[in-house]
Amino acid sequence: MTELSFGFRCGLAVQREVGRVLGIIWIIPIAWLMRFFMKYRIKDVKELRRRYRKLISETQAPILICPNHLTMADSAVIAWALGGSWWYLFRYSRMPWNIPEYNNFSFLWFVGLGAWITKCIPVVRGGNREDVSRVIKKIDYLLRKGDTALIFAEAGRSRTGKVQVDNHAQAVGRIMTTVPECQALCVYMRGDQQDTWSTAPKRGDSIYLDFEIFKPQSTFAGMRQSRDVAQQVVARIADMESRYFAGRK
Amino acid sequence: MSREDVFQKVMEIIKPFVKNEEVFQQADESTNILQDLKVNSARLVDIILNFEDEFDVEVEDEDADSVNTVGDAVSLIMEKLTA
Repeated sequence: MTELSFGFRCGLAVQREVGRVLGIIWIIPIAWLMRFFMKYRIKDVKELRRRYRKLISETQAPILICPNHLTMADSAVIAWALGGSWWYLFRYSRMPWNIPEYNNFSFLWFVGLGAWITKCIPVVRGGNREDVSRVIKKIDYLLRKGDTALIFAEAGRSRTGKVQVDNHAQAVGRIMTTVPECQALCVYMRGDQQDTWSTAPKRGDSIYLDFEIFKPQSTFAGMRQSRDVAQQVVARIADMESRYFAGRK
Repeated sequence: MSREDVFQKVMEIIKPFVKNEEVFQQADESTNILQDLKVNSARLVDIILNFEDEFDVEVEDEDADSVNTVGDAVSLIMEKLTA
């Protein structure tokens, strides 16, 4: 993969450092918003965070967080559930970068600014392929630098409410195959009241979340390899979903 | 293989993924695959892998970044065929 230009690397460094400096005024309030206003409760959150922090302390490999996708708030909820809020202030590189749809927040300049501060790299889904590729290269670069990123394993919120194994995000496979030693942190998250896709989990919902670290292997090359890896990741999350529903019976 | 032949085969491969049939009927090389034909971006990978099978070429992820229009796809395949 061709290297990211100096200008883009500088831009990312500025974005990261501004976000870090302002961390106290966005990380804590967003966490409190989820906890006290939306009244979300993460099941077994202490054990979940203990496992995640242990994993982070034990692995030096780049980690790409790959969750299922049901709501527009998933990435924020997952980040909060895995790391808490204060933890990120001291381990800012572990606050995941996100690639939200540009058109979801481009209508108001201050929303765009907020997204920039909160480690978002917007992408126009279905837009110019070179622009999409540049976003992938940015994530690739950040992972190599030791940051964490989050890309949904599914190419869009699931319209069926279940993991859509035939709708994988190719970018996941592409990044996993180009970043040496990169591992996928497969995440399955679902609120008890989450029957299908929505804007956000329902207020007061109790949210289940589990994760598994996974290093896909593929015998293919080129785009087939990327697709194979992306399919393996989404299949793994579908397995996690099956276990979740089996456990609910 | 001529550029026209490649264009015809490319259109055959794209056809099952098209959601805007009306535009497809009048498509030319300047037609944007995702925006005009309303092909799902996740399906673009399947289309390009079908190009690999049909034309017996190998396309890397980065090669595929240049494919926005039908003409881009034709040019990429022509380039691979003559390489």
